[in-house]
Amino acid sequence: MHTAMPPCQGACPIHTDVRGYVSAIARGDVETAIGIIRQVNPFPSVCGRICIRACESVCRRAQIDEPISIAALKRFAADQTKDFKSSYKRVPFFQEKAAIIGGGPSGLTTAHDLTLLGYNVTVFEAHKELGGMLSRGIPEYRLPKSAVKADIDFILSMGIEVKTGMVLGRDFSIDELLKDYQAVFLALGSERSVFPKCKGIEMPGIITAVEFLKQVSEGHRPYLGESVVVVGGGHTAIDAARTCIRLGSHDVTVIYRRTVKEMPAGKGEVEEAEHEGVKFKFLTAPVEFIGNGKVEKVRCVKMQLSHASGSKRQSFLPVKDSEFDINTDAVILAIGYNPKTDSIEEVEIISGKKGTIVVKDELGTTNIKGVFAGGDVVSGPQSVIHAIASGKKAADAIHRYLRNLPPKEIVEPVVLRPLDERIVSLIIKAVRQKMPMLPTEERIKSFKEVQLGFNWDQAVSEAQRCLNCGAGAVISEDCAACFNCVLVCPYGVPTAGEEKAQIDISQCQACGICAAECPASAIDVKLETREVGRKKLKKAVDDAKKEELKDFTINFYCQYEQPTGPSEKKKGTYTVGKPCMARVSVYQLIQPFEEGSKAVEIRKCGHEKDCRFKGCEKWIIKHIESAQKMLKDIGIDADSVKVIYEDDK
Amino acid sequence: MVIAEIKPFGEIKNLLKKYKKILVAGCGSCVTVCLSGGKKQVELLASALRTARKIEGDDVVVGEKVIPRQCEPKFVDMIKDEASQYEVILSMGCGAGVQEIAERLNSIPVLPALDTRFIGSANEEGEFLEMCAACGECILALTGGICPVARCPKGLLNGPCGGTKNGKCEVSQDIPCAWVMIYERMKELGRLDDLKKVIGAKDWSKSQRPGRYNVKKEEAETVKKG
Repeated sequence: MHTAMPPCQGACPIHTDVRGYVSAIARGDVETAIGIIRQVNPFPSVCGRICIRACESVCRRAQIDEPISIAALKRFAADQTKDFKSSYKRVPFFQEKAAIIGGGPSGLTTAHDLTLLGYNVTVFEAHKELGGMLSRGIPEYRLPKSAVKADIDFILSMGIEVKTGMVLGRDFSIDELLKDYQAVFLALGSERSVFPKCKGIEMPGIITAVEFLKQVSEGHRPYLGESVVVVGGGHTAIDAARTCIRLGSHDVTVIYRRTVKEMPAGKGEVEEAEHEGVKFKFLTAPVEFIGNGKVEKVRCVKMQLSHASGSKRQSFLPVKDSEFDINTDAVILAIGYNPKTDSIEEVEIISGKKGTIVVKDELGTTNIKGVFAGGDVVSGPQSVIHAIASGKKAADAIHRYLRNLPPKEIVEPVVLRPLDERIVSLIIKAVRQKMPMLPTEERIKSFKEVQLGFNWDQAVSEAQRCLNCGAGAVISEDCAACFNCVLVCPYGVPTAGEEKAQIDISQCQACGICAAECPASAIDVKLETREVGRKKLKKAVDDAKKEELKDFTINFYCQYEQPTGPSEKKKGTYTVGKPCMARVSVYQLIQPFEEGSKAVEIRKCGHEKDCRFKGCEKWIIKHIESAQKMLKDIGIDADSVKVIYEDDK
Repeated sequence: MVIAEIKPFGEIKNLLKKYKKILVAGCGSCVTVCLSGGKKQVELLASALRTARKIEGDDVVVGEKVIPRQCEPKFVDMIKDEASQYEVILSMGCGAGVQEIAERLNSIPVLPALDTRFIGSANEEGEFLEMCAACGECILALTGGICPVARCPKGLLNGPCGGTKNGKCEVSQDIPCAWVMIYERMKELGRLDDLKKVIGAKDWSKSQRPGRYNVKKEEAETVKKG
C-alpha cells in the first residue's frame, strides 16, 4: 500500500506526479515543479490550459471542499518558467532513426521521448505549422499560439529534425521511409469532419468547425452573419460559437441533441460561453437545412430520452411532430471527426470503419513490421492528454522494438482509497482559488486569452490546499512496538498491528508528529524525510559557518504559513522551513548548538492563517520545553531556544 | 518489559569526563519502548555530550549505535569491531545490557547511562508501572491477576494493612492499594470466597540472587551430544 498512487496521479493518463509538482509550487519552487511535470509531459503550457483534468475529478480534497485547481497550477509552473534558458540539446546515442508522421501532440510526444531515449528523430508534418489541432483547432482565447509555441520550441530544442509541408502519399510513402528509418510512427490525427445526414447539407453557408477554426487560426476573420447555428456539443462546437461572438455575430445558438449532462464540453465551458452571449438549445437535432441558394433556416426536431428496454446506454430519440425552424445566416457543423487516412489506402495497413488505423495492441503495433500508430488516428478524436499518453506508449514500444527488448508489462496503478469520514471532519477547509478572467466585455471583442492564470499568491495558496495524499508516515522494520504513534496522532490513524504499529498511508495527513515522537526513529514522512530535514538544517548551519560569524541564529518557520520564507532577513539568522513546526524535533532544536549556534528560534505559526494541523501547538511547546531543559543541563541558557512572535521583528 | 530511566545529564557527563572517544550505544527493545534508550535518545544524548564538552573546550568524538537487544551476546558481538575504536562505551541499555556489553568487550570500559528500575508496563496515560518483582513463585492465580508482592509496598500476601484509606496506600496517595484492587477484581470475577483462603508463606529461596534458569543449558548440552 505504501506505493499506492494518489488518485490524481492514478487518473492521469500519463500518471503525472501531481502531488510532487503541486507541493513544489506550495514551497514556491516552480523550477522543481516544471521539472517534475516535464519528466512525463512535454506539453505543460498546453495541458495547463486545455486538459480535461481527470485528476481534478478524483481529487480527495473534494471530500472536504473542492478539488485542487491542478491544471491551473501546471499552467502557472509552465508560464513562470517559460523564460528559463538552458540547453536541452540531446546527442543521439543509438544509430537507428525514427520517422514520426504527424506533428500533433501525439507525434511530437513520441519524437520527444525517442530523442530522450537516444534516437535520431525526424518529424514529417503535412501543414506549414506543427501542433496539429492545438495550432489549428483551438482558438487563441482558450489556447494562445504562444503557449503552444513554448511547448513545441522546448521539444524541438532537444535536436529534432522537422520537415513541414510533407504530405504522406503525395511527397513520400511509408515504404520509402522504411528504407532510411528503422521505425515509423503514424500520428495522422483525426481532422475530417463528420456530416449529419440531413437534406440541404451541401448548401452554401454551411461550414465545418474545423475549417472555420483553421481559417481563424491562420489570421482570417470570417464574418458568417448576424445569426449562426452551431451543431454539436463538444469543445469544438463551443470554440466555434465563442469565436463567432468575437467575430461580430450577435445571435449564436448551439444546438445539441442530448442534455448538458452528456455534453463532452462540460458545464464550465458552457457557462463561460453563456456569459459571452452564446445560447444553447439542448435536446435539439437538425433534420434539414433550408434556403434559397444559401442556408436560411435550420429545421430542427426536439429529442427525448428513450426508455427503450435492453439498452444500457442512454439514447435520445426524436419527439414526433416537434419540428421547428431556426432562422440563421450560417451553420457550423461540429458533430465529430474521423481520421483522414486516404493517403495510406494503398499501403497494406489494416484500417478500421471510420478511417482509423487498427493496431494489434495497446502499444500501437500495426501489421507492418517497424510501423506503429497512435493518437487520434487510432482512437478517433480524444483529448490532448490521451494523445500524449498514446505518443509515450509508442515511443516506449519503438524503443523496445529497436532494442529487441520484451514488451513492457502494463500494470494498473493501485490508488489510495478515499478518506474516511472521520478524517474528513478533522481537516480544515480552504477555499479553492478562483481563476482570474478577462472581463466579458473585453473578451467578446478580441481573441485575448480569457483565463488569465494565477498570480504567485494564488498559486501558492492553491497548491497548499493539496492534502499530500500518500506522502505521509511510513514505519520501518525498526519499530519497537511502543505504540507511541497511536497515542500521539491527532487524526487517530496509527493502530497497533500484531507485531508492529501500522499506519494507513491512505488516511495519514503527513503532519509528522508521530515521526518526531517515535523513540526508535522508525517512522519517516515522505513529504519531508528525516534525511531531507537534516540536509536543510545542515545547509543553514553551513551557510552560517561560511560567513564566519561569531554568533548565528537558526530560525525554523512554518512552510504552510510562509511558503517562501520570512520576508525580512535578519543578519546572522539562517532560516529552515518545515512542513509544520511540530516536526521540529528536540534533536533539531539542540543540535545547532553543537555547531556553534547561539540561539534557535521557532517562529510562532498560526498568525496569517489557521494552523493546518489541529493541536500541533502542544507538541511544539513540548519540544521546546524538553530542549530548554536539556540546554540547561548542558550549561547553556535555556532561553536560547524560544518561540518568537511576529512582534519581535 | 524492563523499565529504565536516563540518569541526570550531569552524572553522565561526570562519568565520561576523562574520555575523548565515546560510543553511545542504545538498545532497540524495552528501553526504546519506555523512551529511555532508543535511537532518538541516543542521538539526543550524543549531541548534548558533544555540545557540553565543546563548551568546556574539549574535543571529543561521540559515536552513536543502536543494537536490537543489548542483552543478546550475538547482537553485541556484531558491534565489537566498531566499539573497539572507542575509549569507552556509554550503554543506554538496562543493567543486563550494560553487563552483557562489558563482558563481551572486556578491554573497554562500559558505563551505564540509565538507571534500571523495574519490570513493568505502560498504563493508558503513557506512564510505566512496576508489575512484577521477579519473586520466582507466582501467586497471580490466587489474586485475580494483580501482584501484591510488586504492587504493595509491604508485599503483603493476605489482605491490606491498616494503612489503606479510600483505596490508596499510606505510603503515597499516588499508589493505589493493591489489596483493594485485588478485592474489586475478585468481586468482579465472582471469586470473593477464594480470598478467605490463606496464602501460605512464600518460598523466598526462589528469588535468591543471582538467578539462574537453565533451559538454554539443556539445549546446548543436547546439541553437544549430537
